[in-house]
Amino acid sequence: MRNSNEIIDDIANKEYEFGFTTDIEMEMAPVGLNEDTIRYISAKKEEPEWLLQWRLKAFAAFQKMQWPSWQHFKMPELDLQKISYYAAPKKKSLKSLDEVDPEILATMEKLGIPLNEQKALTGVAVDVVFDSVSVATTFREKLAELGVIFCSFGEAVREHPELVKEYLGTVVPHSDNIFAALNAAVFSDGSFVYIPKGVRCPMELSTYFRINAENTGQFERTLIICDDNAYVSYLEGCTAPRRDENQLHAAVVELIALNHAEIKYSTVQNWYPGDKDGNGGIYNFVTKRGICKGNSSKISWTQVETGSAITWKYPSVILQGDDAEGEFYSVAVTRNKQIADTGTKIYHLGRNTRSRIISKGISAGTSDNTYRGLVQVGPRAANARNFTQCDSLLIGDRCGAHTFPYIESKNSTATVEHEATTSKIGEDQIFYLNQRGINTEQAVALIVNGYAKEVLNQLPMEFAVEAQKLLSITLEGSVG
Amino acid sequence: MTSDINKSFYDFISNGMPGPEQQTDVNNAILPARKAAFSRFRSLGLPTLKTEEWRYTNIQRYLKDAFTLAEEEQSTVTAEQLKGASIPKLDSYTAVLVNGRLQPALSQLPADGKITISKISDAAGNAQLQAWFDKHPHLQKQPFAALNAAFFADGLFIEAGVNASLDKPLHIIHVYTAAANAFIQPHHLVVLHKSATLEIIETAVGLNEAAIAFVNSVTEVVLEENAELWHYNVQSTIKNSRHIYHTSALQKADSRYHHFNFTLPAAELTRNNLSVALTGSNTETNLHGLFLATEQQHVDNHTFVDHQVAHCNSNELYKGVLLDNAKGVFTGKIMVHQDAQKTNAFQQNNNLLMSEKANINSQPQLEIYADDVKCSHGFTVGRFSEEALFYLRSRGIGEEAAKTLMVNAFAFDITDQVHIPALQEFLSDKIRRYVTGAINN
Repeated sequence: MRNSNEIIDDIANKEYEFGFTTDIEMEMAPVGLNEDTIRYISAKKEEPEWLLQWRLKAFAAFQKMQWPSWQHFKMPELDLQKISYYAAPKKKSLKSLDEVDPEILATMEKLGIPLNEQKALTGVAVDVVFDSVSVATTFREKLAELGVIFCSFGEAVREHPELVKEYLGTVVPHSDNIFAALNAAVFSDGSFVYIPKGVRCPMELSTYFRINAENTGQFERTLIICDDNAYVSYLEGCTAPRRDENQLHAAVVELIALNHAEIKYSTVQNWYPGDKDGNGGIYNFVTKRGICKGNSSKISWTQVETGSAITWKYPSVILQGDDAEGEFYSVAVTRNKQIADTGTKIYHLGRNTRSRIISKGISAGTSDNTYRGLVQVGPRAANARNFTQCDSLLIGDRCGAHTFPYIESKNSTATVEHEATTSKIGEDQIFYLNQRGINTEQAVALIVNGYAKEVLNQLPMEFAVEAQKLLSITLEGSVG
Repeated sequence: MTSDINKSFYDFISNGMPGPEQQTDVNNAILPARKAAFSRFRSLGLPTLKTEEWRYTNIQRYLKDAFTLAEEEQSTVTAEQLKGASIPKLDSYTAVLVNGRLQPALSQLPADGKITISKISDAAGNAQLQAWFDKHPHLQKQPFAALNAAFFADGLFIEAGVNASLDKPLHIIHVYTAAANAFIQPHHLVVLHKSATLEIIETAVGLNEAAIAFVNSVTEVVLEENAELWHYNVQSTIKNSRHIYHTSALQKADSRYHHFNFTLPAAELTRNNLSVALTGSNTETNLHGLFLATEQQHVDNHTFVDHQVAHCNSNELYKGVLLDNAKGVFTGKIMVHQDAQKTNAFQQNNNLLMSEKANINSQPQLEIYADDVKCSHGFTVGRFSEEALFYLRSRGIGEEAAKTLMVNAFAFDITDQVHIPALQEFLSDKIRRYVTGAINN
């Protein structure tokens, strides 16, 4: 039997499985970032004037901003002038899956996302974003019957401008941070969801993002609005082909929950993490924020982060309405030279607001895994309640696990609790499983899966399976 | 630099303070260290709210007033005036310091030849002083520690020889007094040689309510192999005082450091920078803190436990009780370096908010680069339980007495760890008085 060091080496050195490139024709914007690029994107997408003005306002804000310096890793050098800000597959406006480029379908197949099968078996409506433009949307009509709008951002701008105009940038303002500003200026497409009053969305909505085409940054923008008493569960999953050059992903996600509405947003992220020496890989600098605008509304973020060279995001919840509830469940796995600096921010503004944060970090190799979170209780947030738990698991003696919570309580009736632990897999646990006839590989897998269970359980069924698979692939070498 | 720091304070530093060269009266041998510290201060600049370490404490507003350097005023201090800082029933040696300067006439120093207690200025040629003064790694990034080292007036130098110990604790009484607003900067150094043990209790008293005493103090502690130090710091003085305390300890193998910090009313600003560097294996570190703040007090506790080597244990428990409009800050960092395997490091911070307007900001941090460790931190904030209060009241205990009882119970985890009965009683009594006072307001 192999000893645990070999297993750990295996885990640490495991190569990215989904590293392949799809060969299809792309329409590219000229490389570089300036006002003309923004006008080009806006014109390409046939956008109204107000949206162009909003983009330009964001660009002006972006130009005044500086790169942040507070993060717990060395900021990579980003040359934004070398990126092409718009790439779209040339073939467009498809009505059925048959018209989708067979190459894309094959890629999806390889990733284990059989579109047809999913459509038929799982009842998941899949809006496939291939690079920047949606090429296939399923179940649209079925959803339309209920009044649910689920379409690409571009379509939403054309068909529902009043909704987009009302909510765009209200949760993540165009000048929120440098990456959000960049996104607001150059976003190419994304998803738009509107659930009307009283509707419980009958299926999980999901979007698979993939980054393809060399030197294109991906700037998605997602806007989800859940009207009074409505419910939606939204899934986002990502895999990206391998690249030697770093790619920047600066998406923005905005969630708005009105009275008694509930939004559940789940992410499985498995972008190319770079090779074992830290070359290449995706920079995942995403701004995600939701607002519980109405009373008794709820927003829940669940994320499983296994990919990207650098994952740097803090899905946040603003609990504005009274009795609102926010949740954040996260598993972040880092290997080789990967870096994760992730966590959440919860702002308790309304009375009786509650929040729960469960974060599990697993670091192996020479990676760094940081939980950074803010829990803020405003003076009006009487009886606010927060519970935070962040645990870190270290595999190997060259990796790092860090916890940097910020807790600010301005109301004496609030109760805030935070606890964090850091440890490695206990030798006694491994030994126990060994002597029950379970080999070390399986034992590690069992322990890690058990460790992450609390979060994985939060994922919708279809996703939970994928996430578990991902976790075991990520830690493979040990997991049989 | 001027744009970053408070203008009037900057003027005070550049004009009001004599440069390092003019401080030669204290110690010629220290001059190079002073100069180095001054250039360090210039490059660090004064912190602003954007400085991560100071994000919850707006130090600029406490530096706005015009300050002068405190003059030596030992002649005016009488034994009577020391009462505010004395601990009833405590049997101890005493060292009385006025604005950082030792007053032998008012002190009762031990006669033990193995333990030296003197002014830093009198210990000029001492090798230990030369070796350790302003050398603690954690002080190097602290602007106020640099400012202190550049301009400090004087301080206490305590050296305990190999195997030295005292039969009773050493009580250091700090007297801060000045006719006008004063910026007072004492710098103390405590060196315990191999297997030496010592108990130190520090209390402070301010004498002039009319003028602001801004105390920027640095205490460096060096524990050689197997040395043990019990270090109690009781911060309870008059309202018109502002304090920045740096306490930086360096522990070598098998040493034990027990630090207790009690921040009590009524100084308007108290900032504690407590840090411990563990440079030898098998050490033990216990950091206990209790802060009880009333009225407009701002209490900021920053602690840093730096596990540099394997097999060290650290344990930290800080409890805060905030009444009236008091503001509390707790930032505790545990750092475990790559080679510090088999580290056990625990940190806990619990806070009790007793009034609507009190608030707390906390950052319990773990930064860990070794895998075979057990580290955890915990944080809670809440108010006292209504059920518990109701229970006590239903047993015929008045509201005031019940609340006081509950605060005392909350603080008990800390006060119970105090090994000196007279000090324990003194602290419990003070807590009771302050809580009762605040509830009655």
